[in-house]
Amino acid sequence: MLKKRYLAGAVAVAGLMAGQNAVAAEECGDITIASMNWASAELIAEIDKMILSEGYGCNAELIAGDTMPTFTSMNEKGEPDLAPELWVNAVREPLDAAVAEGEMIIAAEILSDGGEEGWWIPKYVADANPDIKTPADALARPDLFPAPEDDSLGAVHNCPSGWNCQITTGNLFKAYGGEEKGFELVDTGSSAGLDGSIAKAYEREEGWLGYYWSPTAILGRYEMVKLDMGEHDKEQWDTCTAVLDCADPQVNGWAKSEVFSVVTDDFAEKAGVAMDYISTRSWENTTVNTLLAWMSDNQATGEEAALHFLENYEDVWGAWVSEDAMASVKAAL
Amino acid sequence: MEWLTEFPAMDKTALRELKKAIDGGFRAWTREHGDTVEAIFEPIKQMLIWSEKFLLNTPWPIILGGIVLIAWFASRSWKITLMTLITMVLIGYFDMWDNTMRTISIMLVSTFVSIVLGLPIGIAMSKSDKLQSLVTPVLDVMQTMPGFVYLIPVVMLLGIGKVPGLLAVVIYAIPPIIRLTNLGIRMVDKEVLEAADAFGSSPWQRLKNVQIPLAMPTIMAGINQTIMMALALVVIASMIGVKGLGQPVLQAIANQYFTLGMFNGLAIVGVAIIFDRVSQAYGKRLQSHSETVHGK
Repeated sequence: MLKKRYLAGAVAVAGLMAGQNAVAAEECGDITIASMNWASAELIAEIDKMILSEGYGCNAELIAGDTMPTFTSMNEKGEPDLAPELWVNAVREPLDAAVAEGEMIIAAEILSDGGEEGWWIPKYVADANPDIKTPADALARPDLFPAPEDDSLGAVHNCPSGWNCQITTGNLFKAYGGEEKGFELVDTGSSAGLDGSIAKAYEREEGWLGYYWSPTAILGRYEMVKLDMGEHDKEQWDTCTAVLDCADPQVNGWAKSEVFSVVTDDFAEKAGVAMDYISTRSWENTTVNTLLAWMSDNQATGEEAALHFLENYEDVWGAWVSEDAMASVKAAL
Repeated sequence: MEWLTEFPAMDKTALRELKKAIDGGFRAWTREHGDTVEAIFEPIKQMLIWSEKFLLNTPWPIILGGIVLIAWFASRSWKITLMTLITMVLIGYFDMWDNTMRTISIMLVSTFVSIVLGLPIGIAMSKSDKLQSLVTPVLDVMQTMPGFVYLIPVVMLLGIGKVPGLLAVVIYAIPPIIRLTNLGIRMVDKEVLEAADAFGSSPWQRLKNVQIPLAMPTIMAGINQTIMMALALVVIASMIGVKGLGQPVLQAIANQYFTLGMFNGLAIVGVAIIFDRVSQAYGKRLQSHSETVHGK
């Protein structure tokens, strides 16, 4: 008797679970989204949270994180379920292994341009001197990019002390023969120093040449043009360009950093309806830069910026979602 | 009960508008007046460049000899002189000579600017209680405000490099010399001043021949503190592109190069100890002079 009741209970529980699964496949369960500690990732995490909650009925929650800890936790514990902006170069091998085992799924390439690094000049300088296309062109004109402490020299603003880009920019400076061309390599000390030097140059329309990267708020606020750094030669890069004190550096370009959304296999089960969205959405760096600049100009939080995006960039996100989801997101706004 | 747990803060939108307005106003102001401000600081910039070039381009034996001689004449102590020699030789041997020269250069110019500005302010403060009560809170702000807070606007105005670095250092390092000049002059005995008046000295003579010489040991203590604080700010200054011992420290922090950080940190400490001991010994010698004058 007792046994029978127990069995019946078990069947009932199993039935319930099966039912729940069926519901989950159509609707959406509890999901956690990694909100990384840099602005562009925080923004897309907030946008994902809004679209998944309002458009697909998920119960989405943000979890703060950073590349390595978040990836490790996703890999080992299956949590958080979704990393909207994962810079895969840092985790290439373990990610490939996890994908091969079916524990993780690589979804959309969220930044279609990837992370871009290189030497940039302000747009007004590029417009006034359309012949400057490459670092070599720029280095031929020290008068356009005066050094802060010596007007007779030109300046290449280097990446902050201790960052890897300090070494690469230093080697490229050597490879282009910057010193012989009357340039000096200016150490900006910190990202605040680097940003400050761009802001100062831009507010007064002075020349500026140096290392920067995208997507960033600075490039959204101050329109800059990336110089053509040339092809990326991986072998030369690994053996010389990225090595401190390389004896004979050659001209080399930065590789595009690939940035993808990554989800756990759990997510695909729990939020199957949203998989289409996660696998299609992707935006360009110019869009991200503009949003980040809006965010910093208005001293807005990621949540406010996400609202601003949903309200004003319907043409961008409208293409990411199904029509039903679009209607419910718009209703929620 | 929400009013009890949540402080009745300013409305968020209004607060944001306020911050935006101030930021925007400042940006417009830099666009308008940046060049003028830069022109004002041009002489200091030239002085900084000149002093760095001088220390870097002079052959090292001359600089080393000069530093050792200064240490000897200021302290008259062979112990301090020997310690100075050994420290500088070690710094050179571990390939930190150029960066140490850059650091000493900005420290010397900052100390010079601090003395030129700080001494008159300190003297004026000692003459007027009203001025003292006005300046003291300003000095408190200068010493406690976190550096990067005022470095952001300074970098917007003057760019990166030596001049904003010098400003950061002077703002942090000038308070002790002002405070101690003020204190030293106020501590001069009333009787001595009465004697000076009795001999018919003018206020200027009284200041120059009586008050400042008697306050000199205290003022030297202020200069000593100013030098120490200038060196303490080397790492912060390097965050806005000032070359010197701070840069390798930053590099070491970012990459966890333990030894690199330790070497350069110790070089800063070494320079600090040299300047501290030498200027203290000099101050003590001044004091012992004045005591002989007093006592006998």
